[in-house]
Amino acid sequence: MLNMDQKFKGIDQIDLLIDEAGLNGDKRRERYPDRKFYGFFCSYLPEELVLAAGMQPLRLFPSSLQGTPAELPAYCCSLAKGTLSLAKPGTYDDLAGYGFVHTCDTMQCLGGIWKDIVSQDKTYMIVPPVMLGAPGADKYFRIEAENLLFALGQLNKSNPGNSEVAAALKLCRQVRQLAGELDQLRPMLPSQLVSALLRAGQVMPREEYVSALQNALPVLKEKAEEAGARKKLLVTGAVLENDSFFSMVEELGGRVVADDTCTGYRHFIEPPIKEETENLMQTLINRYIEMPPCPCRNRGLDTRLNYLESLARRRGAAAAIILIRKYCDPHAWDAVPLAKGLRDAGIQVLVMELEGAGVGGQERTRLQAFIESL
Amino acid sequence: MGQQRRYKQLESTAQLKKLITRYYALSRYHRLWGRPLKRPLAWVTSGAPVELLRAFKIHSVYPEQYGALCSTSKATLGLCQEAEAAGYSPDLCSYATSNIGSVLKADIAPMKGLPKPDLVVACNNICGTVLKWYEALARHFQVPLIVIDTPFLTGDMTDHAKEYVLEQFKDLISQMEKLTGRNFNPGELGKISDLSNEAVGLWKEIRGLCRAKPSPLNGPDLFIHMAPIVVLRGTREAADYYRLLKDEVKKRVEREESALEEEKIRLVWDNIAIWSNMFKFFKMFSERGACFVTDTYTGGWSMEIAPGDPLESLAATYTEVFLNRSPEFRAKQIIDLIKEFKADGFVMHSNRSCKPYSLVQEVIRKRVMQETGVPGLVVEADMADPRAFAEEPIRNRVQAFLETLSD
Repeated sequence: MLNMDQKFKGIDQIDLLIDEAGLNGDKRRERYPDRKFYGFFCSYLPEELVLAAGMQPLRLFPSSLQGTPAELPAYCCSLAKGTLSLAKPGTYDDLAGYGFVHTCDTMQCLGGIWKDIVSQDKTYMIVPPVMLGAPGADKYFRIEAENLLFALGQLNKSNPGNSEVAAALKLCRQVRQLAGELDQLRPMLPSQLVSALLRAGQVMPREEYVSALQNALPVLKEKAEEAGARKKLLVTGAVLENDSFFSMVEELGGRVVADDTCTGYRHFIEPPIKEETENLMQTLINRYIEMPPCPCRNRGLDTRLNYLESLARRRGAAAAIILIRKYCDPHAWDAVPLAKGLRDAGIQVLVMELEGAGVGGQERTRLQAFIESL
Repeated sequence: MGQQRRYKQLESTAQLKKLITRYYALSRYHRLWGRPLKRPLAWVTSGAPVELLRAFKIHSVYPEQYGALCSTSKATLGLCQEAEAAGYSPDLCSYATSNIGSVLKADIAPMKGLPKPDLVVACNNICGTVLKWYEALARHFQVPLIVIDTPFLTGDMTDHAKEYVLEQFKDLISQMEKLTGRNFNPGELGKISDLSNEAVGLWKEIRGLCRAKPSPLNGPDLFIHMAPIVVLRGTREAADYYRLLKDEVKKRVEREESALEEEKIRLVWDNIAIWSNMFKFFKMFSERGACFVTDTYTGGWSMEIAPGDPLESLAATYTEVFLNRSPEFRAKQIIDLIKEFKADGFVMHSNRSCKPYSLVQEVIRKRVMQETGVPGLVVEADMADPRAFAEEPIRNRVQAFLETLSD
């Protein structure tokens, strides 16, 4: 049992995390005036390197009010359009820099556009291997990471070496371990709460996040209770900038017990480490090679399907929801074999296309019918 | 047909038809000769290092080229709908979805679809879509998938990117040795690379002849006659064909013969053709004397393999493909073309199917206009899917653009 102090502190910290998740970094300047934030878009950007260079990684999300910048055509995803329309009027001007990862064709293009119209000097793109198991991929990725670290050091006028990287690696592992504990509690906590707590870890300084989540976890454990008759669901998809979908799942009697979204637990997952190499950068990179791949990477034809199937089994999910952001090609491509593979494995599947993370009446009708059918 | 009569066809087109018909006939009947001769059939992307596959006597067919063929044959819509019924989004690349449609329902596809592959080979130097598309093909046909990962170049080629691609080439070689039972012969690769360079060099010269005023070729000529450089690169037939074509184009230049009845405006084209309505679309320009003297797309196959170690040269050539480069590189490319070909304007096809080509066009357009003072028009359509071609709005935009240039 927690004493009252612990309980209040824990609840306080949960409130803080929910608040941070709701803000998606909007109040960073007021709340953390001494911190330098570095914007990023994708979970393949090694956060450790940003931290080692003395900055705080801030995941950039579009706002709910979608803009349509003239630089991008209509057939482009709302993540790209939304973030660019925020960047143009200077919303991100306080950021120390912007880190792009070469993932899909859209991000490849957005990185180039960003360099052209937002900032030439502060924009950097790391190009990880697409074929994670290809010969030479690990060495190539390591050099890409070393180049990124050098660029980040120059940007922040720091000179990060092994000790800074080691400290950052330690901090990130701590974040991931706590996120892992939270993810274990997921079947017993409201879906939108877990989603928010995980997103907070992408938009606030990592030390503060560790401290808040450490304090929050005992309360969360105490509050956790079995999902009862709620339908257990697995969710996979790309970026979700708010918790609207997860709230709807709860309202309709569902519970997200397994999460494979880019901004959910896949961002934090710490795969079992094969071996600690003497080269710290290689150790760091190995995690990005070994983590469950997103559709933009390949580590074998059925790696994603096998991972999701086993995740669904471990968590007892009766069904899977595949979320596709409109015009997100990699996830739209993967939806077909994933839906088929999961159905073949006896897991019911709903494929939902969303404009952004927001859900409305149309989605409610489909989701309700799906959940009721389980 | 009325549209096509205005189009001044080259005499070489008859030879081109023979060449491509023979290629597709050979492909179609591959099952009769491929196995006895131990020559597997591969489906490959347009930017794959085909010279390496030829060195192992692998017969390559090109779903992208077939996608264009489906579109000109008016088959794309039905094929895309087949793929959509199987769950593929209508927002995906129409080359890919029409190809998947042709796999799922061969009886509605031209030539009843492409022959079944023994392996599929993708190189992601042109887009990320090819990875997903070829994964789908490998799953469907249950054949090996080989992906050559050519890292996107944010600036110049780097040593580590080149080394990475080279490592994958070496791995590809050992896989091909196992698959074909043939040993790798660097001399053979050298010969094939020489043939590739011969055809590429001739194609480059042909394109260069369009610097002449009036231009001997228009956009549709370039798009039609690019077929051998894509599907027969590295063969004697391709080199011989381009020699024939070069002679004919050169004669046009000597006679000061224009591709159009009268060339009044010179334009640069950016992106893949609108295959579904190619003649109809280009006629909007040609009837007003506007000629597309050059383009960025067909020039993608005019990169020679540098002398030296053939594998290293191939690694550089295939990684440095223009679609694998930054918007700065692409803008410079158009600026250079405008200057070299003395163009009065440029037209960008905002191609819904090809995001890496299209999403950066607006930024490039502004930069090119700023640098050259030459106006640029963007028209939105799709390279293969006719549903995205809105004729009247496009016609209005084209007319307004050409009127500005005529002033």
